[in-house]
Amino acid sequence: MDVEGLVTAFVMAVFPFFVASASLYVARLVKGPTIPDMILAVDCLSYDLSLFMALLAIYFRSSFLIVGAISLALWAYALDLYAAKWMEGRELGE
Amino acid sequence: MSSLEYLIPFLKQASLIAGMALVAIGVFCDLAGSIGLLRFPNFFVRLHAATVGTIGGAAYPLLGVALMAAACDFLGPARWFIMTGSILAGIIIVLTAPAGSHALARAAHRMGVPVEPKVCDLLEEDKGGRR
Repeated sequence: MDVEGLVTAFVMAVFPFFVASASLYVARLVKGPTIPDMILAVDCLSYDLSLFMALLAIYFRSSFLIVGAISLALWAYALDLYAAKWMEGRELGE
Repeated sequence: MSSLEYLIPFLKQASLIAGMALVAIGVFCDLAGSIGLLRFPNFFVRLHAATVGTIGGAAYPLLGVALMAAACDFLGPARWFIMTGSILAGIIIVLTAPAGSHALARAAHRMGVPVEPKVCDLLEEDKGGRR
């Protein structure tokens, strides 16, 4: 098997595992008893999706998808900090 | 020169295999982290599972994607963009995920998220006994 077929088959093989773990994260997001649990689930989902977009960039042979991966990684951090600030003081600062 | 000609295909194959191994380990960590996030009893224990899911399941696999992309000749010049972007996203996750989850844990403890089951909570005792 050549490199192209191998990589394509590999991305297809790991796809179900991503769907399984993402659905478990979504289950925690829906179920989460407190707000920090939900924020944590969204974080994990974003990082998971960031890795998956990097794999999709190889699969679809497109370099534009990788921009989305970087933005997702940064967005999760901003969400963490804003959520933490709101939970401590019930305000987002001026 | 001739030794370099032999070396480059070997390096490509090695980087492809290493990248695929990293992504495979990352997928396993991702699945383990998501199961832990669903099954663990309270928020502070779930943070541990979330760390497995983010650092083991997203940051190191992104470096693996970079290694894979470097070996994929069929991508053309796009493989260098994908490689650089993956390395950048991996470094961003390694630097920001611990800081973000620490801020979240601090805010959750101050907000009064219940720690149940609890063996001891020294931070709560420092702040003046049980709430």
